[in-house]
Parts: sequence; structure tokens; C-alpha cells
Amino acid sequence: MLRDLRKKMISSYLSNEEKSKVERALKNLASTGFDPWGVNPDSVKASIAFTSFLYRHYFRVVNSGFENIPTGRCLFVSNHSGQIPIDAMLITTALLLELEPPRLLRGMVEKWAPSLPFISTFFSRCGQVTGDIHNAKSLLERGESLMVFPEGVTGLGKPIFNRYELQSFGTGFVRLAMETKTPIVPVGVIGCEEALPSISKLMPLAKKMGIPYLPVIATGLIPLPTKVTIRYGKPILFEGNPDEPDSEVKKKVELVKDSINAEILMGLKARGEKIFTGVGI
Amino acid sequence: MKKILITGATGGLALVVADVLKEKYELFGVDPRPLHAGDLFPGKFFQVDYRQRKMADLFRLHSFDAIIHLGRVPIAAKLRKTQRFNLNVLGTRSLLDLALKYKVKSVIVLSTFHVYGAHQHNHLYISEDDPLLASQTFPEIVDAVELDNVSVAFSLRNPEVRTVILRPTNIIGDRIKNQVSTYLRGKLCPVLLGYDPMWQFIHELDMANAILLALEGNKSGMYNVSGEGVIAFSHAIRLVGGAPIAIPSFFSRAILRGLKFAGQYFPKHLVDFFKYPVVISDKAFRKDFGYEPKISTADALSGLKLPD
Repeated sequence: MLRDLRKKMISSYLSNEEKSKVERALKNLASTGFDPWGVNPDSVKASIAFTSFLYRHYFRVVNSGFENIPTGRCLFVSNHSGQIPIDAMLITTALLLELEPPRLLRGMVEKWAPSLPFISTFFSRCGQVTGDIHNAKSLLERGESLMVFPEGVTGLGKPIFNRYELQSFGTGFVRLAMETKTPIVPVGVIGCEEALPSISKLMPLAKKMGIPYLPVIATGLIPLPTKVTIRYGKPILFEGNPDEPDSEVKKKVELVKDSINAEILMGLKARGEKIFTGVGI
Repeated sequence: MKKILITGATGGLALVVADVLKEKYELFGVDPRPLHAGDLFPGKFFQVDYRQRKMADLFRLHSFDAIIHLGRVPIAAKLRKTQRFNLNVLGTRSLLDLALKYKVKSVIVLSTFHVYGAHQHNHLYISEDDPLLASQTFPEIVDAVELDNVSVAFSLRNPEVRTVILRPTNIIGDRIKNQVSTYLRGKLCPVLLGYDPMWQFIHELDMANAILLALEGNKSGMYNVSGEGVIAFSHAIRLVGGAPIAIPSFFSRAILRGLKFAGQYFPKHLVDFFKYPVVISDKAFRKDFGYEPKISTADALSGLKLPD
């Protein structure tokens, strides 16, 4: 029954061209119709059918800087916000449906995610992989592209008052890029930071509940239909020894952070105060 | 003609391997169990425990060139834990000592990928360098882990005996009677609700070929061996022709107990394999021995015959 529903959803929401894009984006498929990480074309089509609606009609996403994206594997590094990872969903949808050749971005999910029933299966079918350095390396080695949010949950859960302020970045992604000689594409997402405006993280209560944060959202639980702009900056390729001390790696991290910040600032300047209609190009 | 000793000779895989080797080698089969009615071992067969003195006499009489040690007693065998441990660990140990004493040139040991264990933190493509975690969550499997350890230690200490330890993924095929093949041949296959991990399979002929390559190669050490592709567990069941039935994981213990009561033992440690993926990389084996699976995972699964 669920399978029929899925088929119906795919055929009514996706055009043939879009279906072929999904198929072209999937590499490493075996005779079984799966890639080693569990991605299956039908599952990707079904979830893209759903996210493409949000992408086109709800958040009305505009992209700029596709010409900056190198061919071959890349590490997309972006700002993170919005309490739930809407930004991740929109970047993935953009690169699958609008980029030529299309690519399926792989996100890295929390380490406890595989223990959750249903969610673990859903993540695996749509290309989300457990956040582990071995997984990241084997994905890049096989030509897949990764999406990372070095701010982590600190960025995701930040309140509305800190919007577009980049939180501290981890250093792992730069070492990963250096080790695998992968170009980093800085990405600035404008619009997601206002979609679910949280006024407090309620840290004392969240700590007691054992969760990273508990947002108090001023506008209710449904995200606001803000207009979203995704800006892709010039790629950065770091050369040198991936095993250099943290102090050296941190300089490179700051470089990436600065170029993401530059994209955000340019986007914000172009968009102005019109969060529901303004385009950040 | 070179002489080869195959242990666990009454098992399904041993007979497949023997069929592949019988033209080129003189085969000797040993097993503590008698041959199944109707099975024919293509060579000389002896019913003997690997720890008995009679075993040493076989070595004296025949001076084997190589040993293929397939005789690991599975958990499903109705043996006490200590009995199984003795057979697997001490049995392997005494077999390896005999190999050293009687100057056997190479030893192939069949371990299993189960020694890595199914864990939620498992990354994809587990290599031979990753730790063997299986007994951390499931102490009953310690004999399989120790069998592997004993063989690895032996291969490091005694480089004059070329020892290859193979850790294959799930072996399936018409002549294989292991737990997973039996499970997949069922019409209704219980799975855990909400979990559908990725599995790997290797066809019996590819496995036999892998053993042949290991026998004829010149490298030693431990190697993962897998088939062509990776597949979601529920799809594997459907490809064979069965129907997955989802059971909430909190019922799984009760069901296993019920099965045991009904005389159908299903190892507890396999339950975690129904939850978390254990995808191994056989890159090293491909590189060092030129291995390439010939039967695709989809064909291996859909070719598995259901009982009438």
C-alpha cells in the first residue's frame, strides 16, 4: 500500500526530466539497485517529490553561483540555522533538480540516528550517512559530494537575535578536504534563519531532557514561508600536509568562514528587510 | 598432485569447494560428524575430531601441502558453550600446531564477518584493520572471535606457514545450510519494524573461487571477502521470494525464546545484524589475490531455491 502511494507521489509530482536527473545523479549503484550506503532511486524520487514542492512553492528558492561549482567531488560547507535542517533539504534539492550535471549531496547525520527505527531507514535511502570520518572519506573516494555544517547543532539551534552570526567552526572538514584533495565550496543560505524564529533555547530544561536545545518559537511550529536564496561561492582548494597542527588548520577554517560570511553579507545587502519577497542576489 | 586437507568436510561449503578443487588436487576430508546420507566427498574422507591423535597420524601418512580449515562449529549447533569453544578454538589451535610440525606450506582459515559485530556506530566499508567488536555485545560469539585471533596470531608468529584468514560476508547458495540461507528460504521472514539495514551476500561458487585464489596466491594475513553489491535486507528477502514480516524490536527476545522452545534455535547476535549494517570492504583481497565476484548479488539471491 505504501509502495503504491509512493509510486503515485513520484508520478504526479515529478516530471520525466526530473526523474532522469535523479537517476543520473546516483553513482555506485549495484545490480541490486542500491548503492553501498543504502540509497535507492525510488526513495530519492519520493522524497524529492515532496521537497521539490516546498522548494518551489513554499520557500521559492533562488540560486546564484552555480558556475562556481567544480565538476567532480566537492565538499559543500554552509551556514546552519532554522531549528530544523531546512537549509540542508533545500541545498540538496537545488543541486539535484537545478544543477547540470545533477548531483546527490550526502549529508552527515548524528551518530545516534542509526538506532532510531524508521528514521534510520529513511536517512539511509535518501543518501544521509552517519557522521563518521571513515564514511566521509569513503564517500569522497567514490566521487560523491558531501555537505557539512561545521557549526553543528550550535548553529542550528541559535535564537533569532543571533541570525546570520556564524558560530564557531569545527576543524575536521578542512583536514578531510586536505587529505582527500577535495575542493570546498562555501555556501551562504539566506532566508532560512527567519523561518522558525526561536526566542530561547531553554537550555536548563533541554539539558535535563538530554536534548541539545529546546526552541521556543515565536510564530508557532510551522516554518514561515520566507524567500530563500542560496549563494555558492568560489571553490577553495587547500594543499599541503593534512596533519599540520590545529593552529595552522584553524587559519584555513577562518578562510572558509570568511568566504561564507562574505556570501551571506552580499546576500543580505541585496535582500534588505523583505524576508518574504526579497531576493539575495 | 598436491595434497589438500579440508576440515568441516561434511558441510555444504566444503563440498562446493571440493568440487572446484577436485580436478587439480588430491583431497582429504575430515569432520567430527559423519557425511550426510547421499553426500559424496570427492576424495578420502575420515570421521575424526581435530584434537584426536588420529589427526596427527593423517599428517604423518599424507604430508599435506595445504589445509583449508572450514570446520567452524556454528552457534546454531546444539552444543554446550564450552564444547563449542573447545572445538573451535582449541581444535583450530591443534590443527595449526600440526601444520607447523609437519611443514604444511599454506593454511586457509574460514572466519566470518560476524567477528566485527553489528553496532550502531559501524562505519561503512569495515576493513581488516577495524577491531573485532562482536563479543562486546554478544559474549556467546567469543569462540568465533577467538578462532580468528588464534589464526591471526599464528600467521604472525610463523611466517613459514603461509596463513590466510578469510572473513567472508553471508554465504548463500543451494548447497549451503547456514543460518542465513535457511532463514532466507523461509516463506515468511521476520524482520525488525522500522529497520532495514544494508546486507552483503556472496554466492557459494564465488566463495569457493575465493578459497581457490587464497590457496594459490602467495600473500598471507586476514582478508574480508564479499560479493558484488550491497542490498537492503527487506529487498533481499523479496528477491529470494519470501515476504518480510515486521516485528517490533521489543518483541524479538520473546520470539527468540519461543523459537528455542519450539526447537528452532536462532542466534541472538544475529538480531543486531537485522538493525545495523555491517558492510565490509574486500579491496585488499581483490588487490592481493585478483579476486572478482562473478555472480551478481541480485542473481545470487533470486537464484536461491525455495523448498517446494
